[in-house]
Amino acid sequence: MQGLSKHQTLQDLRTRIQALEKRPPGLEENAVAAGKPGLFTLPSGLLHEVFTDLLGNAGAALGFSLGLARELVRPERPAILYLQLLHEAQELGTPYGAGIATFGLDPANLIFCRVETPIELLWAAEEAIGCPAVAAVLVDVGAAFTALDFTASRRFALRCSDTGSSLFLLRYGLGREASAARLRWHVEPVLSGKAPFDARAPTEPRWQVNLEKGTLGLGRAPVDLIVDWTQNGFERVDAGAGADGLQAPAPLSGAAFAALGDRLSEAS
Amino acid sequence: MRIVAADARASRQGIFVSQSLSDAKAIVPDLEAREIDRGFLASAFADFANWHSNASPIVSVLTDQAQWGDLVLDIEGVSHLFGSEAIMLETLMDRLAELGFTVNGAIASTVGAAWALANHGAAQIVGEDARQALANLPVAALRLHEEQIAGLRHLGLKSIGQLYGRDRRSLQARFGTSLLLRLDQALGFVEERVTPRLPLVDHYAERRFAEPIALMDDVLMTARDLGFQLAARLEREGVGAQAFHLFLYRVDHKVMTLSVNAGRATRDAAHIGRLFAHRVDRLQGEYDAGFGIDMIRLAASSLSPLAQHQIGAFESADGAADLDRLYDRMASRLGPLAVVHSKFVNTHIPEQAVELEPIIARTEDDPQATPDRSLRRPLRLLPAPEPVTVAFAEVPDGPPPNMIWRRVRYRFVKTSGPERIGVEWWSLPEAMLGPSGGDKAVNDGSGLTRDYYIAEDESGRRFWLFREGWYGEGAFPRWFLQGFFG
Repeated sequence: MQGLSKHQTLQDLRTRIQALEKRPPGLEENAVAAGKPGLFTLPSGLLHEVFTDLLGNAGAALGFSLGLARELVRPERPAILYLQLLHEAQELGTPYGAGIATFGLDPANLIFCRVETPIELLWAAEEAIGCPAVAAVLVDVGAAFTALDFTASRRFALRCSDTGSSLFLLRYGLGREASAARLRWHVEPVLSGKAPFDARAPTEPRWQVNLEKGTLGLGRAPVDLIVDWTQNGFERVDAGAGADGLQAPAPLSGAAFAALGDRLSEAS
Repeated sequence: MRIVAADARASRQGIFVSQSLSDAKAIVPDLEAREIDRGFLASAFADFANWHSNASPIVSVLTDQAQWGDLVLDIEGVSHLFGSEAIMLETLMDRLAELGFTVNGAIASTVGAAWALANHGAAQIVGEDARQALANLPVAALRLHEEQIAGLRHLGLKSIGQLYGRDRRSLQARFGTSLLLRLDQALGFVEERVTPRLPLVDHYAERRFAEPIALMDDVLMTARDLGFQLAARLEREGVGAQAFHLFLYRVDHKVMTLSVNAGRATRDAAHIGRLFAHRVDRLQGEYDAGFGIDMIRLAASSLSPLAQHQIGAFESADGAADLDRLYDRMASRLGPLAVVHSKFVNTHIPEQAVELEPIIARTEDDPQATPDRSLRRPLRLLPAPEPVTVAFAEVPDGPPPNMIWRRVRYRFVKTSGPERIGVEWWSLPEAMLGPSGGDKAVNDGSGLTRDYYIAEDESGRRFWLFREGWYGEGAFPRWFLQGFFG
């Protein structure tokens, strides 16, 4: 009897929490239908965490986040903001305009904000999310600080869902603390694919992407992929290709023969 | 050592300015003499001058005569705010006297006449014609040199009145043109301008308080109200401003200035108010109201025409206005250099090709500097390239096989390069070029040519590193890590 009532209470509480919790519109239902066709179809207004194991992977984390952010840019929401603590610039490197142009983003739309203290970093991030013309805000958190706790992330998440801007927290290391982020990505660089004319040259960025928390939609398989960043955005590297970068050739369209009405092609 | 200033009691005992200190001590053995602290006096006097801008916007300090200056206020069109010229003079002198200073002042139509009356006469107001008032003053009241005064005395010309109607040519021959110039300036025949201490502002709104205020919130609220007044004024003239200054006049004759800048010309009162609120956040401990603030003035500068803006109908929703407001807010709280964008510069040197320019002071893009998207450039650049240890490349000009960076060894699996970026000989200083012009610097490298390589280690990290100078130039070429690819 006791156990049953406890179970009942828990159930009630869960229902109430679900009602209270403000879910951003349509992550589960509309994401697949409404978004642009792409590998990761994301609704706007989400708080993301992008984790990578080492500070040395800062390039991969930035590349992947910029890749996701680029898909959120709309004509009425052109800007992407990148926030960094001033004293971490030498440790992590600062985004480089020419490299961003090569990467496939308009450098004019990427604004950098360099702040001195963690509190200013949080203030600037929150201020930036509030602007209706900002598509995404990237916050580089080189070393974790106490002010960025669950409450802060909850604030961010609510504000993001209110205004429709997305926030990407770039985090480093193996530790994970409680956060209100809807999606937590884990990105690691992977040895790049084969260059067309030079087998020994590195080519397009290639990352191992793993969605540790959250899903991209109901009933979709958990994300654990190897992706390339190409001119067209993210491109999944065929699972059979393996890490050595031997991309399988495009499969022949065997069905085409069968679809022909007559037997001429087979006869010839 | 000479006497620079003496108080009333000392003067009664026979101490006078420019007397030597030993003479003075002989007259008054228990004389209390202190060495003059010019730096302190100058800064205190500058504070005074700033404070007086609450009486008139044009305040100037004449430094050619007194040790630390004479305060000059242009009260054209201001005196009615006090009631009349007489009341204004009395008010200003009284409030200085209340602070414990000995003050003398005069109002005249020329700077010269006012100076003469204030320094050598009694406090009074003189109209257009100053001849009568000046006639009985000593010639020293004309702001003359020591030698000129001595010379005039020698000739028996002791008062200014005696100079009226003298033969100008002989006066000029004896005492130089400056005597005539000073005389003409005092009498208004030659115009004399004062240079205002503070930048002149055409558009401002101000409020005086019967009781001094001290709370920052009150100041901000006043700034907001003044913003609305100023905005209405700017709108009437069809202009917007990019810089706004808030002057806080403290009761104890100090002036605090807060300035904010906007990315584009604006006259949005709410926005200006917000900018000041953020600017104040950045002040933290620096704000000190002292005994209170009795006047606040909000001034606008960097004006540019701003047409009436139609809202609705044909507005394009590109968010530019929203973004500008965001950048203004961030810059006012975080400092103007905090919010930057990439400005491309027409050069090959990677770290110079992109400058970080404050977004609120955006300049025109250089069309020749558009980045070449076919060049592979890293996503992240280290502000200062870091030296790395690289084992000898296997072949001349070959890629590095590994590196040690921040005490960690990275073995490279894939590499590409080199991309050679030469020295820009046309921008080198003459001394480095040598006799054959640019050829030498380019041909022998001079340690300025760089070979860039993209290298990927076993776990897929992609680095951008360069070798300084040409291969084989020194025994150990120096390698640097400059960036990371995605």
